[in-house]
Amino acid sequence: MTEIKIGRLLSSNSRQFLVGCRVAQADIPALGTLVRVNPQSNYAIFGLVYDLYIADDGLVRQLATVEEMDESVIADHRINRSVPLEIRVLAVGYQEDGKIYHLLPPRPPLGLELLWLCTDEEVVEFTNSGRFGYLRHILREQDIAMEEVLAAHLQLAERAHRQAGDIHWSSRVVQEMIVLLRDDYTNLIRVLQSIADTQVFSENDWENQL
Amino acid sequence: MISEQTFTNDALTPMENRKIGYLIGGGLRENLKARLVIPSDQVQEGSFVMIPSGNWVYYGLVTDIQLGATDARFADEESEARLPGELAHWLHGQTLYTNLEILPVLMLERGPDPASQAYQPWLEEIKSGRRSEPKMMPVKTIPPHHADVFLAGEGEIAEIFGKPDQEGNFVVGYTREGGHAVCLNLDRFVQRSAGIFGATGSGKSFLTRILMAGLIQRNRSSLLVFDMHNEYGYDDVASDSGMKVNGLKTLFPARVRVVGLGANSMVRGTPADFSLEIAMKDIRPIDIELLSTELNLKETTPTTLEALVASFGPENWFSKFKEMENGAMVETEDERGRLKKIPAPSSVAAWANQAGVNAMAAEGLHSKMSILFHRGYIREKPAADGIGEIIKMLQNGMHVILSFGDYESDLDYLFVTNFLTRHIREAWEATTNQYRTKKLQEPRPLVIVVEEAHKILNRQMAAQTSFNTIARELRKYYVTLLIVDQRPSQIYDEVMSQLGTRISGWLGDEDDLRAVLAGLAGRDTLRGMLTHLQPKEEVLLLGWGVPMPIPIRSRRYDQRFWQELMKGKSKPQSEEQIIAELGF
Ligand SMILES: Nc1ncnc2c1ncn2[C@@H]1O[C@H](COP(=O)(O)OP(=O)(O)OP(=O)(O)O)[C@@H](O)[C@H]1O
Ligand SMILES: [Mg+2]
Repeated sequence: MTEIKIGRLLSSNSRQFLVGCRVAQADIPALGTLVRVNPQSNYAIFGLVYDLYIADDGLVRQLATVEEMDESVIADHRINRSVPLEIRVLAVGYQEDGKIYHLLPPRPPLGLELLWLCTDEEVVEFTNSGRFGYLRHILREQDIAMEEVLAAHLQLAERAHRQAGDIHWSSRVVQEMIVLLRDDYTNLIRVLQSIADTQVFSENDWENQL
Repeated sequence: MISEQTFTNDALTPMENRKIGYLIGGGLRENLKARLVIPSDQVQEGSFVMIPSGNWVYYGLVTDIQLGATDARFADEESEARLPGELAHWLHGQTLYTNLEILPVLMLERGPDPASQAYQPWLEEIKSGRRSEPKMMPVKTIPPHHADVFLAGEGEIAEIFGKPDQEGNFVVGYTREGGHAVCLNLDRFVQRSAGIFGATGSGKSFLTRILMAGLIQRNRSSLLVFDMHNEYGYDDVASDSGMKVNGLKTLFPARVRVVGLGANSMVRGTPADFSLEIAMKDIRPIDIELLSTELNLKETTPTTLEALVASFGPENWFSKFKEMENGAMVETEDERGRLKKIPAPSSVAAWANQAGVNAMAAEGLHSKMSILFHRGYIREKPAADGIGEIIKMLQNGMHVILSFGDYESDLDYLFVTNFLTRHIREAWEATTNQYRTKKLQEPRPLVIVVEEAHKILNRQMAAQTSFNTIARELRKYYVTLLIVDQRPSQIYDEVMSQLGTRISGWLGDEDDLRAVLAGLAGRDTLRGMLTHLQPKEEVLLLGWGVPMPIPIRSRRYDQRFWQELMKGKSKPQSEEQIIAELGF
């Protein structure tokens, strides 16, 4: 298992944290990716990427007005910029002494802690533990593109589960989302429509799964 | 929650004893509510369900099936069009649902779980008599939230309505879903008067035939059938299907007598076994008074009749009155030698003047009664004692079907049924009293089957007729009624309220529905069931004679029915023999 590190923690609270990384990095995590911080050897915090933000570093405004720009200038701007790419992560659970909890982490990670990409095995283990309690943390947030994050997460995690031989995970998680949102017509329909746009449902002949 | 709502492998689970839902609310008064966990079209109104819970099993009927949604918008939107099929399916599984309303009727103690420690002591208590045997009782408590609801199976139906092969039990039909046999206990059935109702063409006569065949086979009571339309004795052809319909005489040639009204009477082209003629000496004023409406009699009638009896005695008044000449006059000379017309000595008026009653009234009555004077079945000296014969046959365990032949008017029906019933009532009261006082032979129970019962048992009539007495108190004298009618609302309420078992086919009329259900618990819900019954095919069993109401598919009156019935006959017969005998 090759661990892939993404960046370092800039700030955090119990519910979310902010991570900075270099823009040119090959492995900028996609929206909906499950990530992990390991403050201690027996303590890991799991999070879900819900926003990626590239801040204005002052120079970019001047460059943007230049009419003819050399490719090298653009590359230089991306590699050597002083302000990092910001990754916003929603805390969705933690692992302590080997056991996974879909609760908010008891202690948030500290500054400059390393952020790691979860492996497929970790994704399967985390999303299979308990009964989808981690969805709570996503559904609670008002200010995020909740349905998009859910759809992105579903698509990524489904692939991991399918590779592990479980083709029914998506059905279970979607039904749980429906149960959690069934009193909220507007949001539920929005979530289902985003999910409908993922590869999971557009590619599969669903009847075969029943 | 997820797994309960998703429809999986339905086809693999048999309907029998299958979980169909769980309780979510309700109560004794407003029915129990359950969430359905199988597709809504797999449960019908009237389905017989059971709810085992704790120490009890509850039994009830599905009385309503309702579609619901967690939010009306989920139901309004046709989300199938907007979402992939799978998602729409899951969405509906969680947001759209079906609720059942269940009328709880009976409960049975089943004791603790047989696997538990408490079970053995519980059994011991029953065996030692410290605890009474568990028995069916009306619901007094209700099961808790989330108790599972099952479709009752053959075992439960038999537990409640009786096993088909048990003595005295008779299959009247089958449950609508499972097709399990539903029995009536015939011995209980005849203990009180019963009624078979339904709109015209709903299958009353066919079901009556089936029940009568069962009663004859059972041989515990005699039947006297007032067969107004000549349909029960000899073979017939069903008017709608053209199917040959066997008469009771065909099936039980040795035990059934078809009696025709009047000498040489023919019933459907076949001579009757026996003719009934009524002797004038047996007719009493009450027999005439009952015809007030039919004959349009005046209030003076009782006085005139009373005077007739006073003049000629109870046995001769009818023939004497008949002989009188209405309006006959003779000429006589008065003191001064003038010719004058006065009533002839043989005239009605002459008798009236002499008896001190109003001559006009007497003449009026005479002319109204002339229709009876000329009825072929009323004779001065009949060839045989018809009434006595019929009573004897019934007392000896024969069954009598009285066909009216060509005398199909209401007048004949009223007159003859009342007349006969009055005599039967006297005979059975006498034998019962003898049995009670002198310990002589116990009377043979008698069931009088009355078609078009409202003609005799309507509000006006009932107070005067013998039928009313029979319905009200004659069961103590071993006589009960089986009334067959399409307008139960026209039958006197007091009679209706005496009916033990009620069997009803489809009814549309508001008043009829009310009449059939009067006095029963859960009327409102049963009402719905009655209006949804399939004509010719389904009936609802109700009342004292059945442990709980249940809609059934009525048994078919066909070759198979006869074969099944014959199997129970003491003398074994081959199938060919039976079929040959039946003429199939
Ligand atoms: N149990 C049955 N077995 C076979 N056929 C039946 C049965 N019940 C009803 N039918 C069919 O329905 C028709 C009408 O039934 P039936 O004559 O018993 O109606 P009804 O209620 O007595 O009508 P009405 O009030 O006009 O006398 C029959 O001719 C027969 O074809
Ligand atoms: Mg009929």
